Amino acid sequence: MAKFIIPTNASIHAAKSFISKSHFFEYPPKSASLEFDPRWMYTEPFAVSMLAAWAAWYKAESVEIKIENLSAKADYLWRMGVFDYLPIEYRPSRSEYEEAGRFTTLKQIITNEDARNAVADISTLPHLADSPEDLAAVRYCVSEMIRNVLEHSGSLQGAFVCAQNYPKANPPRVSIGIADCGIGISAHLSRKYNQARGNDIVALQLALEPGITGSMPTGMYGSSDNAGAGLFYTRSIAKGTGGYFMIYSGSACYRLKRATRAMIEKQKMERQIKLFPDSFKEPHDLWPLENRWQGTVVALEIRMDQILDFGEYVTWIRKQIPKQDRTSRRPRFT
Amino acid sequence: MIEIQVPTGIDGFMEDKEVAKNLRRVQIIPALEQGEVVVLDFSGIKYVTQSFAHALIYEALKRYPDDALDRLEFRNCSQPVKSIIELVVDYSFDGFGSEAVTTA
Repeated sequence: MAKFIIPTNASIHAAKSFISKSHFFEYPPKSASLEFDPRWMYTEPFAVSMLAAWAAWYKAESVEIKIENLSAKADYLWRMGVFDYLPIEYRPSRSEYEEAGRFTTLKQIITNEDARNAVADISTLPHLADSPEDLAAVRYCVSEMIRNVLEHSGSLQGAFVCAQNYPKANPPRVSIGIADCGIGISAHLSRKYNQARGNDIVALQLALEPGITGSMPTGMYGSSDNAGAGLFYTRSIAKGTGGYFMIYSGSACYRLKRATRAMIEKQKMERQIKLFPDSFKEPHDLWPLENRWQGTVVALEIRMDQILDFGEYVTWIRKQIPKQDRTSRRPRFT
Repeated sequence: MIEIQVPTGIDGFMEDKEVAKNLRRVQIIPALEQGEVVVLDFSGIKYVTQSFAHALIYEALKRYPDDALDRLEFRNCSQPVKSIIELVVDYSFDGFGSEAVTTA
């Protein structure tokens, strides 16, 4: 039986433990259960998005989900909108909450309009509206992540995205999660890169490299709509601020490590950060997992105490991208 | 010469690739085909995503590699928008490299 377990800690930091507890998919899908931890649950946005995507997929497969241990501890998940996708009604334990939580609730992204609205919705995150540079960074990442899914996932249910602001946490950060139950990265990239076929680890490595896309050329001029640099930019922003970046597809999960305080101080002192096109040269964790995720999950953190000028970040990332022999052709700005 | 005002998006943040694709197909490529100079006016925009800029200009650069940059003019660009456009121009002509670079 497929089983999704929400443990006490479903954070990016504890991702491996969280993922390893469950058995998300079985084939053919026959039965599924969702088990909440009855004590308490700390659930970050990527896990919320995974749960919604998973529930929507089983619903589309006409498989009933059995719910276990539902208690008042699920209030947060209710507020995030998870129960809109679960076959059970939930009454929160409290009737009133502070107005406007520090989060944006789950959004299901199927159309371009959904994508545009989700990017716009990010500005409703309290504290971000007062910090335009942070807001721009978050919008940038959300947009690239959503567009990536819209174009490549092949998921009929689309993708699920949500975000949470942790302004008083250490480190202060915005955490974003997006998940789909589509074809996954290996299947997408293997249309062009044979080495990604059936190898989720190689597929992840390729997907994070700039210039790699599974999109087929749309004409004699290459892929007019995709460069394959969106995920590279997203992880670069996460790295630049010192936050986690995690991507999980099939049986492989890659996690760019959070920068330690010492690393950030060193970067500031030396005024330089190395950014590797090959994500496997970055400080990271790589987990081959028995528990496959059908589709793709991306989680990232953007630290709010690091971005003074997002425009400088964009310029910095561009300078970090290595080039082939450079021509002297320059765009004309007026 | 034709002038195209790029929509400003959400608070000066432009990311909608469908808008970029539409501008490319309906205005930019047809104008370049007719030998026109195309002015893309980014006034009111502070940021664009790399995906947006790619969808907007990559095909023009690949289709007319010899003179696209002479016939495309980028007007009123913020510094971040300039950086993104330069990036797209770079990889359109030169591709991506593979070695890490450290910048001060």
